[in-house]
Amino acid sequence: MDANLLKIFIAAGLIAASGGMLGSLALLRRMALVGDALSHVALPGVALGILFHFNPFLGALIFLVFGTFVIWAVEHKTKLPVDTLVGVMFTLALAVGALLTPKEDILDALFGDISNISSLDFWLASITSIVIIILLLMFYKKFTLSLISPDLALAAGQKPHMLELLFLMIFAFAVAVGIKFTGALLMGSLIIIPAATSRNISKSMNQYLTLSALLGVLGAVLGVLVSYFYGFSPGPTFVLFSGAIFFISIFFRR
Amino acid sequence: MPILEVKNLKVRLADQIVLENTDFVLGKGDTLAVIGPNGSGKTTLLRAILGALSYEGEIILAPETRIGYVPQKIDLERDLPITVQEFLLLKSMQGESSAYSPRQALELVNLSADFLKKRIGELSAGEFQRALIAWAVIDRPNLLLFDEPTASVDVAGQETVYELLHRLHDKYDLTLILISHDLTVVYRYANKVLCLNRAQVCFGAPSEVLTPQELEKLYGGGHKFYHHTHEKT
Repeated sequence: MDANLLKIFIAAGLIAASGGMLGSLALLRRMALVGDALSHVALPGVALGILFHFNPFLGALIFLVFGTFVIWAVEHKTKLPVDTLVGVMFTLALAVGALLTPKEDILDALFGDISNISSLDFWLASITSIVIIILLLMFYKKFTLSLISPDLALAAGQKPHMLELLFLMIFAFAVAVGIKFTGALLMGSLIIIPAATSRNISKSMNQYLTLSALLGVLGAVLGVLVSYFYGFSPGPTFVLFSGAIFFISIFFRR
Repeated sequence: MPILEVKNLKVRLADQIVLENTDFVLGKGDTLAVIGPNGSGKTTLLRAILGALSYEGEIILAPETRIGYVPQKIDLERDLPITVQEFLLLKSMQGESSAYSPRQALELVNLSADFLKKRIGELSAGEFQRALIAWAVIDRPNLLLFDEPTASVDVAGQETVYELLHRLHDKYDLTLILISHDLTVVYRYANKVLCLNRAQVCFGAPSEVLTPQELEKLYGGGHKFYHHTHEKT
């Protein structure tokens, strides 16, 4: 196996594992579409990175962190209707991103391309994903509790609002690295599909989290393999495989 | 020394006063029943004691007070892939050596160890309520807040939720605050009663303060209240 393929496997696998694990927690509170919506915010950042020749990951991250903070603040510090505002902001970001992104780069920005990953991006994606996984493992009990019942979390002496901010920030990082793999439009699939599949068949929280990560890796490996040999784009291929596994899992619902 | 002292409590939600002029003191081992019509501020009071919302006035807890809380209902999705054991461990993770194990906590509420491996969604309403009580007592609180226990869900022959609470109260010298609509429960289990209607209407021993006049003031005229006792069969 050549070194480049190995690098793609590792990066895609780690990105999908962290996305799957994050997704399993996000799905506890039906936050599945947050990833989808958030990924749009990244697009202007990606575009600016391409235009001004700095790493698009950095541009995406800055916009994402800013975007998540705004959502959190609107939800907890104002009385504005969150979903409406989020809808407006995100489509606005997508429009700005679409106008700014040079034409020849727009497909990569929207659908991702991990097949030409640079050394720097490989390390950025791998290390960020590992840090995300470690953070999620450290805080998973607290996140779980505050996601399934803010009331019980309060009673247990937690600060649900701060935990939510931390969770959203981790979310922002996961989206920033995920965009390299699946692009801004398909980023949500990394969060939603493996976790939804795992939820269909898991009997416990441990199983659910582990399986979400593993299913992410499985989808990534299959997607990268097929795209490598047949020349498809890896992102959409990942989505196709993961989607197929999801539909199979429906027949094995516990 | 009182375990809880509430002084001139006032709570606003969205610029509306939902609770005011509330003053009472609870000693160790007291069982306080909070009664009042819907929207009278009962749950608000519990949430203020928990520190879950901001308020004016004072809520003073004795040092070393640990609060356990059983909410009225929580909107847990039924298909969550989480077992009872995992659910109980979500709380007792703070590494307190004094906490019960999940198995012991279930024993306290009369659920067998078989339930540890069951998913939350597999429990009946009554079993789930017991699991929530187990959750509330797992780290050995000395003040337990209980928002409207429903006795109706119990299987005949088992102890009711109230009997369960009463047993825990006696055994562990718990101080209990429970919201209840059932005056029978108030008379049987509470030694103090607090009547709320967006403000404190009465406070004291049930037999002294729950006069027909007070109840009419609390719930409005036109209702008949009676205190009926259930004989054990």
